[in-house]
Amino acid sequence: MTEQIDKALAREYEAGFVSDVESETFEPGLDESVIRRISQMKNEPEWMLEWRLSAFREWLEMEEPDWALVDYPKIDFQAISYYSAPKSMKDKPKSLDEVDPELLRTYEKLGIPLIEQQMLAGVAVDAVFDSVSVVTTFRDKLEEAGVIFCPISEAIQKYPELIKKYIGSVVPKKDNYYAALNCAVFTDGSFVYIPKGTRCPMELSTYFRINEQNTGQFERTLIVADEGSHVSYLEGCTAPQRDENQLHAAVVELVAMDNAEIKYSTVQNWYPGDEDGKGGIYNFVTKRGICHTNAKISWTQVETGSAVTWKYPSCVLKGDNSVGEFYSVALTRGRQQADTGTKMIHLGKNTKSTIISKGISAGKSNNSYRGLVRMNPGADGARNFTQCDSLLIGDKCGAHTFPYVESRNPSAIIEHEATTSKVSDEQMFLCRQRGLDPEKAVSMIVNGFCKEVFKELPMEFAVEAGKLLEISLEGSVG
Amino acid sequence: MSEWLESAITRAQSINDWLAPKRANALELLSTTKWPTRKTEAWRYTPLRVVERTKAKSIDDAAIRLLPVAIENFSAIELAFVNGKLDESQLTNALPKGLSISLGQNLSDSEKAQALSAFSTTKPDRHLFGLVNDVLAQDVVIITVEAGAEISEPVRISSLLSQGAESHTRVQVSLGEGSRLSVIEDIQAQGESLSTAFVEYNIAAKAHLEHYRFALQTGTNVSIGGSHFSLKDHAKMHSTIVSFGSDLSRLDTDIIHAGEFADAKLNAMHLLDGKELFDLHATVEHAMPNGTTEENVRGIVADRARSVFNGRIHIHRDAQKTLAELNNRNLLMSNTAEINTKPELEIYADDVRCAHGATVAEIDKQALYYLQTRGVSRSKAQVMLNFGFINELIDLMPNAALAEWVRPIIRERFAQMEVK
Repeated sequence: MTEQIDKALAREYEAGFVSDVESETFEPGLDESVIRRISQMKNEPEWMLEWRLSAFREWLEMEEPDWALVDYPKIDFQAISYYSAPKSMKDKPKSLDEVDPELLRTYEKLGIPLIEQQMLAGVAVDAVFDSVSVVTTFRDKLEEAGVIFCPISEAIQKYPELIKKYIGSVVPKKDNYYAALNCAVFTDGSFVYIPKGTRCPMELSTYFRINEQNTGQFERTLIVADEGSHVSYLEGCTAPQRDENQLHAAVVELVAMDNAEIKYSTVQNWYPGDEDGKGGIYNFVTKRGICHTNAKISWTQVETGSAVTWKYPSCVLKGDNSVGEFYSVALTRGRQQADTGTKMIHLGKNTKSTIISKGISAGKSNNSYRGLVRMNPGADGARNFTQCDSLLIGDKCGAHTFPYVESRNPSAIIEHEATTSKVSDEQMFLCRQRGLDPEKAVSMIVNGFCKEVFKELPMEFAVEAGKLLEISLEGSVG
Repeated sequence: MSEWLESAITRAQSINDWLAPKRANALELLSTTKWPTRKTEAWRYTPLRVVERTKAKSIDDAAIRLLPVAIENFSAIELAFVNGKLDESQLTNALPKGLSISLGQNLSDSEKAQALSAFSTTKPDRHLFGLVNDVLAQDVVIITVEAGAEISEPVRISSLLSQGAESHTRVQVSLGEGSRLSVIEDIQAQGESLSTAFVEYNIAAKAHLEHYRFALQTGTNVSIGGSHFSLKDHAKMHSTIVSFGSDLSRLDTDIIHAGEFADAKLNAMHLLDGKELFDLHATVEHAMPNGTTEENVRGIVADRARSVFNGRIHIHRDAQKTLAELNNRNLLMSNTAEINTKPELEIYADDVRCAHGATVAEIDKQALYYLQTRGVSRSKAQVMLNFGFINELIDLMPNAALAEWVRPIIRERFAQMEVK
């Protein structure tokens, strides 16, 4: 026995701690030495490394969750490379001519400007410098307001006190399997801090952040809105993003202090895989926010990408009178599988939550809403309203609803409604009669179906999201 | 695995009768089943500690005489299990034409073969205690209605338990094509007892089943049951379930639309007080097209009681043109009570209309205030409003005599609730 242990230990040593900082991509595999190397690459302080290692030890003891209605081959966590440096200029496509024409057609349909197309496709051109200057003016303005918006790796160096205080405070290290993994191996992400009483002068978007390219598959975002502040944050973009990493396990933590408000909007359009569902992204995300007294957190998401989505943006309504909102449109087609929803945990008095979820299934896909509304004994006068609607397009897809409702306070009121229907023949007939072709008709009906969610998105985003749905639905009618 | 389950398996191994092949199958499934914990989805809110600790054991004492409660203005063909044993003298009474009732072991060989092939086909294998019932139920009652026979007199099956008794009762009901039958399941258990009571219904084409299940005892008993229905083309069922809680009361209902144009209605209500627990898992499987389902489930939960509801509607790929609705409403009466509800939809067909709704709230404060301004005492007003909430479903009971019988029992229950 001891012999075996010694052997195992010796083997780990062989792989070595002697890290080769120069190398750009780690060999596949995961053990403590890999985490030490990531931490070293990022030049992290000792406490951060300890934090990562303790998360890793927790992760080793945990089991992969299997309760979601998704089906995918078992992930070999030893076959993944946990760090790869941004690609150097010479590896990138030289011009848009080298980019997949299918991708370009989609960009065109979305009306994305040429420069942005190049950025998205990862083309190495000087034009990117233009955007750098945009980013610089952007930074100046934020600095003036006292807002901190930077990569989380930078924040760990520059604002260790803030990071120490808040990281893992909303999503604990051992919250779930993927969150624990993220804690151990996250490579980058964003950090936002809005000082007391400040209204962030502009919408913050990951899209504009320097170092955006290749934040890697284990992204970590932490947003702290101090007392009385306000921020709106946009994540992702409507354009399809290419990524070689198949597994994405991000963690997003939001902290809304007294009277603060955070609005977090996501458009997710990762590669969903080919017709047989091969090669798509697995998107296993943990997103949670905590609301202190009178605070408000609003999640809005438009999910159209990824082969498998496992995502439940949640609100812990800790302070009295705090408000949580969740607006979601999830569209699946082809062989996509989405299991998404939210959790609203009511702890404080007079807390309110609203959940509006619209699921659209087409092709051979499966789309599930899974949600939890919990009223704790202290949640006097709390209120929840939930509406989940599903729309089926075609007879080979599935739409499912799994709402958990738990109440331990008689003065709390919970209402849950769910409906499932298809695009009715009457609706289609009416549209066709007025000269719309079937695809246009379906896209119009679907847009109407999603209206309640789109109106929560920032304006430009909403327009793009509408277009995105239209493109995503192409070919699924008839 | 718990000691209780191990002992059940050991006891089952010594039973060898006409059900042997089915029992062997269930035993095999049981030996691989994990004892449920909080992480087991079907038992997430219902801990099984009381089963693990139970002292109930099977009591074989012919001197124990228990009688089902009398119901005014109501006569039925009575079948009573006492501590799991059926008094065979009840089977000698003359029965209406087209109806036959026997114990499985007394059937002819050909009838036995038929009953054996139908045994445990409507009840899904996933029910742990259903499997326990498969292996331990001794007297299995087989009720058959011939095709076209309309039996006007209801059949009441009572399961009566004395203090500290353990019982496992099993009934298999087959309705022939175009036939009609009304069945009442009634559980009456005394303290510290444990029972599993499972009934399977096979409803042939165009047949009509009227079903009631009453569990109006409270206290320290553990009562686990299942009512499972399979509906063929154009078959109909109307079920009413009224339950009070106990230390642990769990009911699993499964409605399977195995034919087209079947119609199912289920109205369930539960009134819980003290530290009672009631858990209803209602599953509807629409396996065939053009079916309709309407479910209404209402609960009132007071004091430290807990209610669990899981309402699953599963529409299979081929079940086009299905209409399914589930409505779950709950009143929470105290801040130490708890309601956990989960209405689920799992839909694989596109041309269907499905909806579910769930609400949890307290009594309408304004209505309460209104009644008080009219001189009704607060406690009385509370009883009135609670009663109104449940009475809507009582009014839907097809059998008027049963409705009149259960109404005052429920009113009495509310009067007890408000005292605390």
